[in-house]
Amino acid sequence: MEEEAFTDINGKPITLDCHSHSSFCREFTVSSPKVSIGKVMVYTCSVWLLAYAVFFFTQNTAVLSSAILITLVGMMLHIHFVKVDHESLLVIGSLGIQVSSSYASGREVTTFIEMSKIKDIVINEAIYMHQIIYYLCVLLKEPFEPNEVSSVVPLFQSSKPRLGCLVKVYKSCQEILSTCQ
Amino acid sequence: MGQRRRAGAVKTLSSERDSADVARICNRKHNICMVSDFFYPNMGGVESHIYQLSQCLIEKGHKVVIATHAYGRRRGVRYLTNGLKVYYLPLQVMYSQSTATTCVHSLPLLRCVFVREQITVVHAHSSFSSMAHDALFHAKTMGLNTVFTDHSLFGFADLSSVLTNKLLTITLCDTNHIVCVSYTSKENTVLRAVLNPEIVSVIPNAVDPTDFTPDPSQRPADRITIVVISRLVYRKGIDLLGGIIPELCLKHPDLHFLIGGEGPKRLVLEEVREKYQLHDRVRLLGALEHKDVRGVLVQGHIFLNTSLTEAFCMAIVEGASCGLQVVSTRVGGIPEVLPDDLITLCEPTVRSLCDGLEQVIAKQRSDSFPSPASIHNRVRNLYTWKNVAERTEKVYDKVVGEEVLPLAKRLRRLRSHCGPVAGSIFAFVAMLDFLFLLLLQWLLPDRFMDVAVDATGPHGLWRQKTSRKKFD
Amino acid sequence: MGADGAPSQSVPWRKVLWERQPFPDNYVDQRFLEELRRNEGIREYRYWAVVKEASLVGQQLSCVAIFITFWLYMEQGLLAPETLLWTSLVCGLLGYGLYQAFTSQTDSCSETRTHLADLQSAALFLSFTFGFSPVLKTLTESVSTDTVYAMSAVMLLAHLVSFPYGEPSPPGSLSLNAALFASVCLASRLPGALHTFAMLSCALLVFALWPCLLQRLRENSPLQFTGVCVGVCTGGVGGLASQSLGGAVLLSLAVVSVTFLCPLLLVWLQRHKDNIHGPWDEAEICEDLSHFLH
Repeated sequence: MEEEAFTDINGKPITLDCHSHSSFCREFTVSSPKVSIGKVMVYTCSVWLLAYAVFFFTQNTAVLSSAILITLVGMMLHIHFVKVDHESLLVIGSLGIQVSSSYASGREVTTFIEMSKIKDIVINEAIYMHQIIYYLCVLLKEPFEPNEVSSVVPLFQSSKPRLGCLVKVYKSCQEILSTCQ
Repeated sequence: MGQRRRAGAVKTLSSERDSADVARICNRKHNICMVSDFFYPNMGGVESHIYQLSQCLIEKGHKVVIATHAYGRRRGVRYLTNGLKVYYLPLQVMYSQSTATTCVHSLPLLRCVFVREQITVVHAHSSFSSMAHDALFHAKTMGLNTVFTDHSLFGFADLSSVLTNKLLTITLCDTNHIVCVSYTSKENTVLRAVLNPEIVSVIPNAVDPTDFTPDPSQRPADRITIVVISRLVYRKGIDLLGGIIPELCLKHPDLHFLIGGEGPKRLVLEEVREKYQLHDRVRLLGALEHKDVRGVLVQGHIFLNTSLTEAFCMAIVEGASCGLQVVSTRVGGIPEVLPDDLITLCEPTVRSLCDGLEQVIAKQRSDSFPSPASIHNRVRNLYTWKNVAERTEKVYDKVVGEEVLPLAKRLRRLRSHCGPVAGSIFAFVAMLDFLFLLLLQWLLPDRFMDVAVDATGPHGLWRQKTSRKKFD
Repeated sequence: MGADGAPSQSVPWRKVLWERQPFPDNYVDQRFLEELRRNEGIREYRYWAVVKEASLVGQQLSCVAIFITFWLYMEQGLLAPETLLWTSLVCGLLGYGLYQAFTSQTDSCSETRTHLADLQSAALFLSFTFGFSPVLKTLTESVSTDTVYAMSAVMLLAHLVSFPYGEPSPPGSLSLNAALFASVCLASRLPGALHTFAMLSCALLVFALWPCLLQRLRENSPLQFTGVCVGVCTGGVGGLASQSLGGAVLLSLAVVSVTFLCPLLLVWLQRHKDNIHGPWDEAEICEDLSHFLH
C-alpha cells in the first residue's frame, strides 16, 4: 500500500493509492479532497444573503424558506450524484476489471468488465470543454472480431488525473495484463 | 470525458517518456504548428501542401502538429503517417469549410494546443481560412513567432476583396514572415497587405515526381487526346473550354477530349457535347481522386489548362511530369512555372487558345516533340517537397531569432499600419485577446497542462510502437 | 532581402520559379512590381456631362415633391378631384401621343404593343382602381395618421433610393411598388372615394408612366430632356413653395446639391482614384461564348 500525491487537470491535489493484493491483483484508488466545510459555508451563506436581499425588497417569507430548501436539497444532490470521493480500479488478472466510484454520500457505483471483453488499456487524448486532456480508457473488443474495438470505457471520469498519475496506473495495469495473457 | 469513439481509427499512445526522449526534444530545432481550416478529409491544393510539407519537416527532425476544425464526426486528435498529429478542434464552420471568426473564441483551444505541444513557430495557411487568421492573432498575443503562407491571388476591385485585403493587412502587419508560392503571388500579397517585400519569401509548391511518371503505352495511337483536369468552375475558364471543344473537334476528326473534375460548369460542357454530338469524343470523368489523376494524364498527348487566375498551378507541373505537352493561359503565376519549351502560353481567349493548341497538334503529328520520358526527367527535379521543406526551414530559422512585438508595440503598429479606424478597432480586439489570455492563464496556469507526448519523427515513439509487439 | 548577401550582379534575376537562382528566397529585385498598372482604362468624367446625368436624380426628387403638392392641395380641398382627373387624362393622352411619336421614330420595325392592348390595360387599371377606391379609402382607417405619414415618407424615400436612374424605363419593381404603396397610404387620408381614385391615377401617371416617357426623351432629344428636367425641378420647387416655404427651400437645396455639388465632388475625387491592375487579376472572358451553346 503506497500513497502518492498528484494533481488533476485543473491543478487540484489528488492522491493515488496503489494496493497490491497479489502479483496479479492490484487496486488503484484516486481520492479527491473531501468537501470542505468552508466551501459549503460560503455557498450557503451567499444563497442566504441573496435570499435575504430579495426578501428585504419583496417582504415575502416564501423566499427565505425556499432558500433554505434549495441549499439543503442542493447539498444532498451534490454529495449524492456529483461529488465523488474515491474512484477505484481493481485489476484482477485473468478475471477482469472492476471500476467503482464512491460518492460523498457513501453511494457506490460499481461496474465489472470481464477479461474476455477487454482488448487493452490505453491512454488517449480528447478535447474536454476548452482543454485537451489525457485520459485512461479500457478498449472493449467487438464480440465476433477480436481485433476490432467496439467501444471505449473512460476511467477516472470525475477525478481526471493528469498524465503522471495515468502513466503510473497504466504501467501497473500493463504488467498485469501482460502476465495473464 | 471527451467523446466515446471507435478507437480503431485512433492510434493510441502508450506513454513512455524517459530521459532519452527529453534529450531528443532538446536537439529539435522547431516545434511547428500548422493551422488552416483546410485539411484532409477536405481535398485540394492547400490540404496536400500542408500534409507534404509537414511530412518533409518531420523527416528533417522537426516536430509538426496540425490544427484544423472538426469535419463532421472527425473531431479530437488523430495521427497520420510518421506520427503527424492532427487536432480537429470543434469550432463552428460558417461558409465553405471556413470557420466563423470572432478573433477571441478560439483562443482557449488553440492556447491549449500551443502550450501542450510546446510550439515555437505557428505557421498559418491560406487567406481564405479564418482559423488561420485567428491562430496568427492568438499566437502573437502569446508571444510566439508566426509565419503565413498565401496560396491564392486576389483582385482589388470588388467589395469582398476590399474586406479580405483589410483583414489580411491586419493579420500580417505584425507577422514575422510570409511565404508566397510564386513571384506574382508575392507582388499581389505585398500590395494587398501593404508589406515590406523583404519579409516575403517565394517558395513554390511542389509535386511528387514519383506519383507522376509517363507511360506512353497508354496513349491510343490513332488519335490525339487533350486532357483537362480541374474543378469545373468559372475561375478555371471552363466557359473558354466550352468554346474550344467544338472549334477544334470540327477541324480535327481524330481529336479527343478527356475531362476530369466536377463543378457547376459541367452543364456547359454537357450542353456543348449534346449540341455538337461529341459523346464519343468528349469524355467527362467526373470528380477524380488524387491517386487516379496519373492514370488519366498518361492517356493524353496534350494537357490543357484554361484557368483565368492561378497563383502557381500544380496541375500543369503534374501534366508535364507525365510527359504531356502543356498548353495554358498566360495568367497569374503560370508563366513562371515551366520553361518556355515545355509550355505553350496563350491569351485567355478562345481564338488564342485554339491557335496555340493547333500549333501543338501540328507538331505532335510531325513527331517533333521530345519523348515523354525526357520531359519527365527535366521536370522531375524542378519542384520537390524536400526542396520546399529546406527553404521553409530557413524561414523558420530566421523567424525564431526575431522579436515578437510586445503588446504596447503591437498596438502601436496596428494603429499606425492599418489605418485609424480598422487599426483602432483591432488594437482593441488585440487588447481583449490579451486580457482573455490573462484570464485563461489565471483559470488554468500553463504548468497544469500536460506536455503532450512527442511521437513524431523517424526515431519517435511512433516507429518504436510499430516495431514493439503489443502486450496481448 | 538585400541584406542576406547581395549576389554578384553578373547573373540577372529572372522572374521564373523553375530555375534555381543564386538569390535568397526573399530577394527583391529592381523589377519587383514592374507589371503594376494603375488606373487603366479609367473613364474621365467631365463636369457638365455628369451634371446632365445627375439632373435626372433632381428631376425624380421634384416629381415626388409635385405629387406631395397635389396631395396637399387635395387634402385641404383646394383642388377638386374632377379637375385633377381631367388634367391627368389630358396629360396622359398628350404623353401617350408623344411616346408613340418617339417610338415610331426610333424602332418602327421591332414589335410593339398595339394601341388596343394599351387601351385595354388602361381601362383595366382605371376600372379596378375606381371599383376599389372605397375600399382603399377605408383601408388605413384603423391606423393612426402619424403612422401613415411616417410610412409614406419611408416608402417615398425607398422609391427614390431604389429608382433605377441608369435605365429608368420601365421603373424597377421595388421603386414602383414603394411609390404606389406610399400613394395608397396618402390617398386613404383624403376626404372622399373619388379623391382617392384621382390621387391614385395621378400617382400612376407620375411614378409609372412619366419615367418611361422621360427615358424616350433622353434617348431621342437630349437637349429637350435637359429642358424638361429644369422645368420639372422648377415646377416642383414652385409648387411646394405655394404650400410650404421651408419645404421649398429644402427641396431646392437638395436639388442643387444633387445636380451641381455631388458631380463636383465626383470629378474632384477622381484625382484620388488609385486602381491597381497586374498579372494577378482574374482574366475576363470578353468574347460572347453563348453561340457555342445555342
